[in-house]
Amino acid sequence: MTAPERAERAPLLELRGIQKRFGAVSALSEVDFELYEGEILALLGDNGAGKSTLIKIVSGYYRPDAGTMRLRGEPVVFSDPHQARAAGIETIYQDLALFENLDVAANVFAGNETVGSGWRRTLGFVDFSGMRARATEAVGQMAVTIPRVDQTVEAFSGGQRQCVAIARALLWGRRIVIMDEPTAALGVRETGKVLDLIRSTRERGLSVIVIMHNIEHVMAVAERAIVMRQGSRRGTVTISGATDRDAHDAIVRMLM
Amino acid sequence: MASLSLGTSRRVDWRVVAGSRELVILGFILATCAGATVLSPYFLTVLNLRNVLIASATELVVAGGLTIVLVSGGIDLSVGSTLGLGAIVMAEMFDAGWSIPAVVVATLGVGALAGALNGALIAYAGLNPLITTLGTMTIGRSFVFILSSGYALSAIPPVLKNAFNAETYGMPNLVWVSLAVVLLLDAFMRRNVWFRTFYFLGGSEMAALRVGIPTRRLKFAGYVASGLLASLAAVMTVARMGSAFPNTGTGIELRVITAVVVGGCSIYGGRGTVLGAALGVLLLNLINNVLVIGQVSVYWQGVASGTVLILAILTDIAGRGIRR
Repeated sequence: MTAPERAERAPLLELRGIQKRFGAVSALSEVDFELYEGEILALLGDNGAGKSTLIKIVSGYYRPDAGTMRLRGEPVVFSDPHQARAAGIETIYQDLALFENLDVAANVFAGNETVGSGWRRTLGFVDFSGMRARATEAVGQMAVTIPRVDQTVEAFSGGQRQCVAIARALLWGRRIVIMDEPTAALGVRETGKVLDLIRSTRERGLSVIVIMHNIEHVMAVAERAIVMRQGSRRGTVTISGATDRDAHDAIVRMLM
Repeated sequence: MASLSLGTSRRVDWRVVAGSRELVILGFILATCAGATVLSPYFLTVLNLRNVLIASATELVVAGGLTIVLVSGGIDLSVGSTLGLGAIVMAEMFDAGWSIPAVVVATLGVGALAGALNGALIAYAGLNPLITTLGTMTIGRSFVFILSSGYALSAIPPVLKNAFNAETYGMPNLVWVSLAVVLLLDAFMRRNVWFRTFYFLGGSEMAALRVGIPTRRLKFAGYVASGLLASLAAVMTVARMGSAFPNTGTGIELRVITAVVVGGCSIYGGRGTVLGAALGVLLLNLINNVLVIGQVSVYWQGVASGTVLILAILTDIAGRGIRR
């Protein structure tokens, strides 16, 4: 399927001819990929299709063996995850990478804690009240309720954890948020809430790449789906809404 | 366990406060004091409590370093050997006629170097911390005997002895030094942006790596801090005793690890405070003191420490059960 209205727009992120090998195994061969400003793009495919390798290249975890990556038309090379974050790309991994021993505010500000002003700056003391306020604001705008930001996340439910991880990505991601199977381990009610969280991410002006297995979830949030197969791009489907039967059937055919 | 309540909040969650390990240990300490006061008229005297603090001073400093290492998710068994090595190096250098500042700096350097060796092997070569520090502990103690030929050394300048043993407000200065180390380190571990990353590292190394925390460098730094504080404890011990023995610091690692875990540090990393660890040290020393005053054989001290350790962990589990 083609997307004529997309073809005229310059992509926010564009990958061309990406290759990645692990020893004798070719994980990605000649993959092209594009993400447009303000869209929710679903990435589908079987295990081993190359989805994870692809997003790990975008998030700076792997360096491709060949191919180019452009962000807003500018060529970029990420040699570690830090550089991708600096470029405004946040990744929420499947295991969420939360700190069970720390509270919500510390999790949201992990690795980016802000130092207070005055004498606190001299001693390098962090600004607890400022961080709490911003963390409260960040989680407060979401569909999932977080009781207190000074509570450790160890007793949180799957949806609440996802909320904390997304709040962190929203606070630091300026352009792109990548989510690796955010609905994989959730119940029905929490899945609905997490889908709302994904939509609210786009409303903040961010573009989203989301890996998903469940086609119903893809139909519910994504505008476009890229299907991967055996290390290459099988095809692209534009989704006009949750009830778009043609798009649904096209995705299913490509996955077969 | 809410041992790490990150900073202050306007609304105070009293369940969290009541469940905090520091308060539980403070409760243990008060109960021990109350019991001891009933049992013996000699316990609640300034002289006796002073003795408890003096006996705790070096352990408090070592506990500060071990808290950092445990919070970061590691362990350091070599602190006792580092202490012993620092003490012997110090005495040997005084023997050779070095000045006090040069000797103190060199001793701290030996501690930092021993810590750097641990840190390099654990953080950069990826070795297991328990095994690595078991190895460096053995090597360190062996060096102590090689350097001293097994003899005690006592050419310590009176000026240094005085500096630590002279009293300010009725306490020897070494007690004030140890309290200052505890309070400063506690404040920095809670609030300083760099020290706080130890909690992130110990909470989840993978997650810390992903949010851009330099995990290897940080692990390395934790062992350097532990070695440095162990050598500061060496300076304090030598100044206090006026001599360095080949067995100085033997067994202190296990006593302090016990105390630090009693004080709320998790051996799995990510949890614990310097203040809690310090209270653990005080509690165990207090119990030993009570046993001595009560004329119980010193052979019972191990039974007491071990029981307290297990009791502390039991109250921890019970506390968690209530909070869930």
